[in-house]
Amino acid sequence: MSEVIKIRGLSQYYGKKQALKDLNLTIEIGMFGLLGRNGAGKTTLMRVLAALLPKSEGDVSVCGRRIEYAQEIRKITGYLPQDFSMYPNITVYEAMDYLGVLSGLSKSVRRQRIPELLERVNLKGEQRKKVKALSGGMKRRLGIAQAILHNPKVLIVDEPTAGLDPEERVRFRNLLCEIAEDRIVILSTHIVGDIEAACEKIAVLDEGKIIYNGSTEGLIEMAEGKVYTAEISKKELDLLKQKYLVTSMMTMGNNVTARFIAEKAPFASAKLCEAGVEDAYMYLMHEKRGEI
Amino acid sequence: MFGQLFWKECVQTAKSLIYWLIVIILILDFSTQLGNTNIKKMPERGQESYGTRVSNDRAFIMKRTLENLILEYERGSYTTYPIGFYKSVTLNEKEEARIGEILKEAAGVSEKELKEQKSMSDADIDIGPAADLTYEKFEELMDEADDILGGGSSYAADYRLANAQEEMTYEEAVEEYQFLVEKDRLSGGYARLFSDYMVIALGFIPVFLAVTRCMRDRRAKMQELIYCRRAPAWMIIVSRYLSILIMLIIPVFLLSMPLLIECVQFAKGIDITVDILAFVKYILGWLLPTIMVSSAVGMLLTELTDTALAVLIQGIWWFVSIFSAGIMRIQGGLYGWNLMPRHNTEFNYTGFQDGFSQLASNRIFYASLAVLILALTVFVYGQKRKGRFQIRGKIMADRKDKSKA
Repeated sequence: MSEVIKIRGLSQYYGKKQALKDLNLTIEIGMFGLLGRNGAGKTTLMRVLAALLPKSEGDVSVCGRRIEYAQEIRKITGYLPQDFSMYPNITVYEAMDYLGVLSGLSKSVRRQRIPELLERVNLKGEQRKKVKALSGGMKRRLGIAQAILHNPKVLIVDEPTAGLDPEERVRFRNLLCEIAEDRIVILSTHIVGDIEAACEKIAVLDEGKIIYNGSTEGLIEMAEGKVYTAEISKKELDLLKQKYLVTSMMTMGNNVTARFIAEKAPFASAKLCEAGVEDAYMYLMHEKRGEI
Repeated sequence: MFGQLFWKECVQTAKSLIYWLIVIILILDFSTQLGNTNIKKMPERGQESYGTRVSNDRAFIMKRTLENLILEYERGSYTTYPIGFYKSVTLNEKEEARIGEILKEAAGVSEKELKEQKSMSDADIDIGPAADLTYEKFEELMDEADDILGGGSSYAADYRLANAQEEMTYEEAVEEYQFLVEKDRLSGGYARLFSDYMVIALGFIPVFLAVTRCMRDRRAKMQELIYCRRAPAWMIIVSRYLSILIMLIIPVFLLSMPLLIECVQFAKGIDITVDILAFVKYILGWLLPTIMVSSAVGMLLTELTDTALAVLIQGIWWFVSIFSAGIMRIQGGLYGWNLMPRHNTEFNYTGFQDGFSQLASNRIFYASLAVLILALTVFVYGQKRKGRFQIRGKIMADRKDKSKA
């Protein structure tokens, strides 16, 4: 059976509002990033793929199984929702055990697999701790552990790093990369750094449409030769912002080092520099709107 | 898988605060209502009272009811229980005059005689039905009096029979006792009395457990985590439902033990064979259908709305059931279709026998209704898992729209 997710002509409506517009995507084994601003339709797409939302139009298959057969989809997908939480008064082990039973795992499998997974997500010492006593990062790691408890072929992770400190975020991304070695992992985020560090393939969603689908390098290439830095005075900053898309800036005394996007070399002191995913993402979003 | 899930649900229930609050309420209910119950002894000739019973004598019913009416007419104040609560009714001149007319017609007395009766002290009142008054006409007049008083008076169909309480004879008391020890084998009668008290609490309390169980997923933001699991909807809902039933039945069984032990100890040395399983039979047959309905209503409405609406709905149902029972139905025999059938005595075996088929139909109906409601809950839950039936989401969206507007 093919280890691929195929999405053809997928549209999703909430009443009259169209949340997804004629999406076409193919997602293969590895980390796949879904990038877009809040409200772009990422969570809707994730929920459709996790069989939590019935699609309005189009065809979707997950590893050869049609999305309409929710029971079949549930067997092969793991899902970490955006606002992940568990019953606060039960222990980490009890929470995993309960979800393991719901996933149809036998007692012996659960006994073997839960400690293994808790060790993998660095929570082995916390298995007797109550869920409410876990830190934000620990909860997210527990979220990953529960999502892969039944060894799914597809892992769907919705905005997992929001609110985590930098160290936890790095640890979390590394964990996802390890998991993605032998399965499809779909990572939805609006944090560009997560995509840059973890995903080879990405899709960018904007207002329900896919505006980019390809490799991370391909996205960067789009902005190559268009990213400049310049040291300007604070007074000149407003003018620069009016003319160009400023992606970052750093203040040093009365001067500002600004990083911005321009189609052509803007002025003599501006230096061309290497584009990053963030620059490319900003370029893409604004280009599509005709703002560049 | 089902067994493991069921067990986990039982453990979760046992760890919940609401469950232990319910257990405490049941213990308090039992100890205040039945805690000091002594097993009745064989009546002895010459004792002060052999108890009372409701008279079947229509003339006696009419006389007592009319005496009561003239007493209240004389005071100008009438006691009613329109929705179960005490209310003192004072009529206007026109209504008061109509009550006087009703009295004159029912008792066959003139205006002058009525005034004489009105001026008498309570103890001297002596009025009876008119010689030509049929029972049907009496009922018609009393219904009218009850309507004038706004319902729930001593003249309403159910309540007027209660006016005709009369002392039992020694022979009647002995006969009742013989039924208790021979037909009911002692424990049967006390199991009915136990069921009568416990059914009141169990007609409402289970809804809290069901609502909190279903709301727990939403409060802990666990809904999607559970929805995307492999376990089918029926397994999730039925395991939860059965765990609620079992966890509620366990304290009820335990609470029946003191009464059973009392029965067994009382029967020692006397020629009575106590039915050891009587309480089990009555708990499963009498109480379980009520628990089933209350829990099922709680689960369905909570899954449907993601709110605690079920508490309100079940509360209303409970309230109506309690007060629609009426005084006469409390003594057993007239079980009707009440969610909480009453039998507030260890005696009245004949009433139980006479009403048994009605009671059995009642219990089968409610057990079946609970299964139907449970099936609906499974359906609703299954739809919610697929992203349909998100009624709460729609309500919240509507509220937001209105507040924006």
